[in-house]
Amino acid sequence: MKGILVAIALVSLATAAPVAQWLKHPTAGIPRTADGKPDLSAPVPRTPEGKPDLSGLWQPAAMLIGDLAANLPRGSVPFQPWAEKLYNDRRANNGRDDPTANCIVGGVPRSDAVPYPFKVLHMPGGLVVILYEAVHSYRQIFADGRPLPVDPNPSWFGYSVGRWDKDTLVVETTGFNDKGWLDNFGHPATERLRVIERFVRKDFGHMDILITIDDPGAYTKPWDVTLPLVLRPDTELLEYICNENNKYFEIIPKKTER
Amino acid sequence: MKTLRFVVVVLVMSTTASAQWLKYPTAGIPRTPDGKPDLSAPVPRSATGRPVLSGLWRPSPGIVGDIARGLKGGEVPFQPWAEALFKERRANNSRDDPTARCVVGGVPRSDFVGYPFKVLEPPGMVVIMYEAVHAYRQIFTDGRALPKDPNPNWFGYSVGRWDGDVLVVESSGFNDNVWLDNAGRPATEALKVTERFVRKNFGQMDIEITIDDPKAYTKPWSVTQQLVFQPDTELLEYICNENNKYFEIIPKQTER
Repeated sequence: MKGILVAIALVSLATAAPVAQWLKHPTAGIPRTADGKPDLSAPVPRTPEGKPDLSGLWQPAAMLIGDLAANLPRGSVPFQPWAEKLYNDRRANNGRDDPTANCIVGGVPRSDAVPYPFKVLHMPGGLVVILYEAVHSYRQIFADGRPLPVDPNPSWFGYSVGRWDKDTLVVETTGFNDKGWLDNFGHPATERLRVIERFVRKDFGHMDILITIDDPGAYTKPWDVTLPLVLRPDTELLEYICNENNKYFEIIPKKTER
Repeated sequence: MKTLRFVVVVLVMSTTASAQWLKYPTAGIPRTPDGKPDLSAPVPRSATGRPVLSGLWRPSPGIVGDIARGLKGGEVPFQPWAEALFKERRANNSRDDPTARCVVGGVPRSDFVGYPFKVLEPPGMVVIMYEAVHAYRQIFTDGRALPKDPNPNWFGYSVGRWDGDVLVVESSGFNDNVWLDNAGRPATEALKVTERFVRKNFGQMDIEITIDDPKAYTKPWSVTQQLVFQPDTELLEYICNENNKYFEIIPKQTER
């Protein structure tokens, strides 16, 4: 109970903008029902090349926000012992060392599992860009046939390449630094992290990201979760500037023995 | 000496090196017979005949940091309070610069920094992804009007329309914490910025910028920022909050 409440507090604290999107503008070119409402069950839109068009403003469904393992059977994350200890420490100390408390970007897959929408831009030529409301940052996915770099500069978002497997965009990301948290709860990762995301648009209004975490430095075997997304019509990204009036360090340390 | 301090401020704000070390050939750009990018090739055009603005661009070093270095027609027409505040910021090494706390630069400041940015043109929009602070900006080109009562913010709200071969972008809805440039020229919530994006050839683009803020300036004033196309490289991940040294260094140099 305490854990859940603290987790909710953490998620709320990391929130510089409210969850409700108050910018109202009709999204152009989306299917609508006879009464003008967005038809989220319309068929998958397609690019001129015939692939599903992943573009749109998407919001993660609530269930996996904060805890990537929320839908897995309890105890089934295949931690290495040190990673489990670190995870338990982070849960016990209210995430006080969370890098995003310093307004650093969440990274992959963490930025996809936060309570803020993100806009996918599916560009001709194979570039897919994700504009995140969270921390007002972005990520590039190169689906133009290039390989992953051999010795990338370690970074928070890593380096992402994509390829199409029939109607699924399969994105492979490596090149992470060893400071990233996989989620708000603090599942650890190392520089050996490799993330596979399979973007499956199911209809106009729904997309799943099937995520595989493969990090032999922190886990004994790869593990999988599915993150459902819902399209957000007729609204827009807000400007979330984390460094403006950030209260995290005023509140969290008081609640935690150091 | 002041100039030197200003250079220090700019360097301190740099968590990544200016050189881009990611090497990957940019697809679909014109090249000379020896394979080098042909930056003097003609303006690329879309299926509808309009100039394509997409690409990785870098502000030319000429007016990085100081927007008034490109000023046409003389002095900046400050209101007295704005001039006093500007001088104070110059005198105290910009110690209250919002970007020292890793807040985004805004418009037009983000176009006047020593980092590249990528322009994308998805349907109905122009998106600018800035290397600086790893932030982005959306310009809506779908015919919508500027909002009447926007939530004040750093990048404002931007709409664009085509005037012949020129993309004309109007932005308003700024907060009053914004600095127009690293040097610290002030702005208020009355700020309106007009940017005219003029692609001159494959490798060069100008942004003609008009600052219209009657609360801080006695009349609108205009500058031109020159951009150079950056082929065969990529944006780096600039995470300002990682190891930010600004407040360790600047206050020591300044009497408080």
